[in-house]
Amino acid sequence: MLKVENLTKEFKGVTAVKDLSFSVEQGKIFGLLGPNGAGKTTTIRTIINVIKPTTGKIYFDDKPLTESFFNQVGYLPEERGLYKKSKVVDVILYLAEIKGMTIPDAKNKAQSWLRKFEIEHYRNKKIEELSKGNQQKVQFISAIIHEPKLLILDEPFSGFDPINQQFIKELILSLAKSGKIIILSTHQMETAERLCTDILLINKGLEICSGLLPNVKKTFGSNLIKIEYSGDGSFLNSLPEVKHIDNYSNYAEIQLEDNIYPHDFLRKIVPVIDIKYFSVIEPSLNKIFIDLIKQSPN
Amino acid sequence: MNKIFAVAKWEYLEKVKTKTFIISLILTPAIIIGFALAPTFLSGQSENSTKAIGIIDTSGLFINGVKDGLETYRIKNNQPAYILINLTSQTQDQNELKSSADSAVISGQLDGYLLINYGGTDSVSVEYLSKNIGNYKDINNFDNTFNKVQLEIKLNEENINPQIAKYLSEKTEIKPKIIDGKGKESKPDFLTVFFTSFIFIILLMMMILSSGGMLIRNLVEEKSNRLIEILVSSCSPNQLLTGKVLGLSSLGLTQVIIWGAIGFALAGTSTIPDNAFNNIIPILIYFVLGFVFYTAIFVGIGSIVTTEQEAQQITSYLSLTLVLPIAISVPAIEHPDSLFVHVLSYIPFTIPSIMILRFNIETIPFSEILVTLIIMVVSIYLAIVGSSKIFRIGILSYGKRPSIKELINWIRE
Repeated sequence: MLKVENLTKEFKGVTAVKDLSFSVEQGKIFGLLGPNGAGKTTTIRTIINVIKPTTGKIYFDDKPLTESFFNQVGYLPEERGLYKKSKVVDVILYLAEIKGMTIPDAKNKAQSWLRKFEIEHYRNKKIEELSKGNQQKVQFISAIIHEPKLLILDEPFSGFDPINQQFIKELILSLAKSGKIIILSTHQMETAERLCTDILLINKGLEICSGLLPNVKKTFGSNLIKIEYSGDGSFLNSLPEVKHIDNYSNYAEIQLEDNIYPHDFLRKIVPVIDIKYFSVIEPSLNKIFIDLIKQSPN
Repeated sequence: MNKIFAVAKWEYLEKVKTKTFIISLILTPAIIIGFALAPTFLSGQSENSTKAIGIIDTSGLFINGVKDGLETYRIKNNQPAYILINLTSQTQDQNELKSSADSAVISGQLDGYLLINYGGTDSVSVEYLSKNIGNYKDINNFDNTFNKVQLEIKLNEENINPQIAKYLSEKTEIKPKIIDGKGKESKPDFLTVFFTSFIFIILLMMMILSSGGMLIRNLVEEKSNRLIEILVSSCSPNQLLTGKVLGLSSLGLTQVIIWGAIGFALAGTSTIPDNAFNNIIPILIYFVLGFVFYTAIFVGIGSIVTTEQEAQQITSYLSLTLVLPIAISVPAIEHPDSLFVHVLSYIPFTIPSIMILRFNIETIPFSEILVTLIIMVVSIYLAIVGSSKIFRIGILSYGKRPSIKELINWIRE
């Protein structure tokens, strides 16, 4: 488990991150979200031990970070780039070696990952001879080859075509399933919505909201449901659970009172009218993000 | 430790494969051998042929003596070095003689001519006229011969015993020799000093500049593509820095070994005098220390630059401190005991080159060697500590280059 406690980082009097606390469990994908300049990269850099926090503590498996932690973290920075003049396989092996892997082990793993990413035939090419997407694949391999317990991915999908994006998504999900801790930093709210189990939204170095994704949605959702029915639906207008209703002849959008669960409401109306369609309208993460960032104080 | 080794291995193998490295490995000794051969080649050529030298002596006093004296000089195959041609004639005055001699020189019939102006015993002047200023050896021969003849004539006039006259006109040359600590004598000659000292200083300079430049360009690349963040999340900045310095030093050592092998192979031949390797061990020690010292400084400075242009700018500033010893090497050879040379022998930036130079021109007291070695080792330690502090922060700061004040703060942190 990764635990960040009261993390604060100041640069020359400017506070980049203030009093941030969160924890990520094994097998979870944690979305670190926020607009540009929110402090995401600073937070990541502190976690991977590249910069020291001004105050605050970071624990990994209940132990403070030490040099042995270096070998357990994999990092894919937002700005990509590798040694352009060097061979694909050499770069992968070097980065694996300084993560503490032995050369024979690194060679085997490199070979199998290159095959999985379908770039095996480029292994002896120079990095600069590869397309941008293939270079990204090489960098992704470098981030995961040493089987890190903690994987930090900063915008992992940028630069990939839809097919490869799908491949990376599945790969991330399978890595999480195998028990890794994954921190995903992205601007693509749709992706975050589909992949993340937990999120932390920050702006200007401060936490805006955090928690399990469904809970966050519920908190910021307006408890809106949509139904399609046949029969006389006029009784809906006068139910006490209904806060607001737009009722048409066989279709209605209903805002429920805050303490009402949609499925309880459904149970109540099913015996009265014939329900053909029922759905809870959740606000998209994108909408929550935009609303919250706009609301947050400057 | 393994990580330091991994970084060192990477830095070494990736650079040893580059075209720049291979070219400099071959080109540098080629250039140096070229430089060494050129003067021998040029001066050797002129000594292969006998020179035709005219002589004008309207007084008739010196001509025979000078002619006999100069014709005793020999070149290869026992050929005479000079053939003297008498251009003096009673029917023409000196100006006419001179203008016809001039045209003979210009047309190439003569290599040059000697013009002796005699205006009484106390005013004799001799000029040598040719198309160029003339070989210093020739001038030296003319000088010696004429003065000997002049002295003989004077002694003859004064009726001095011919044996005493001969004795007086003999000249004894003083030969400089160096006594080392063990009482062994060695003969310094310009070629030895040139070969061992200059070449080592030039090699040191070229190696520092080329590997330093490589290092800075490499750091700029790692910074610009954020690879540095992956690296420092894999090993500590100190491990990274030590690995880089180690890798580059091995690269430098490879160069030295290969160049050294070329040098040994050529030792004793006409290209390299065999006594050029007399002081090789202390010279190599200073060489390696100098290289490590400058490399450590380059790492620190390299970590604060963010663009290729800045890197070039800084490399050229640093190269100035390296050129300084070369610039002062001639006065240093002339006055090895001057205060200036002694002061430079205690400044870490100039210790390696000055000491390399001094080893071949004088015997350096052991205490001085010890003190300079201690200064070097301490300076290397301080350079690594200072550089690693700058490195730790520098590699992660992008954009504006830090001010000197900020750098000092980084070192203090």
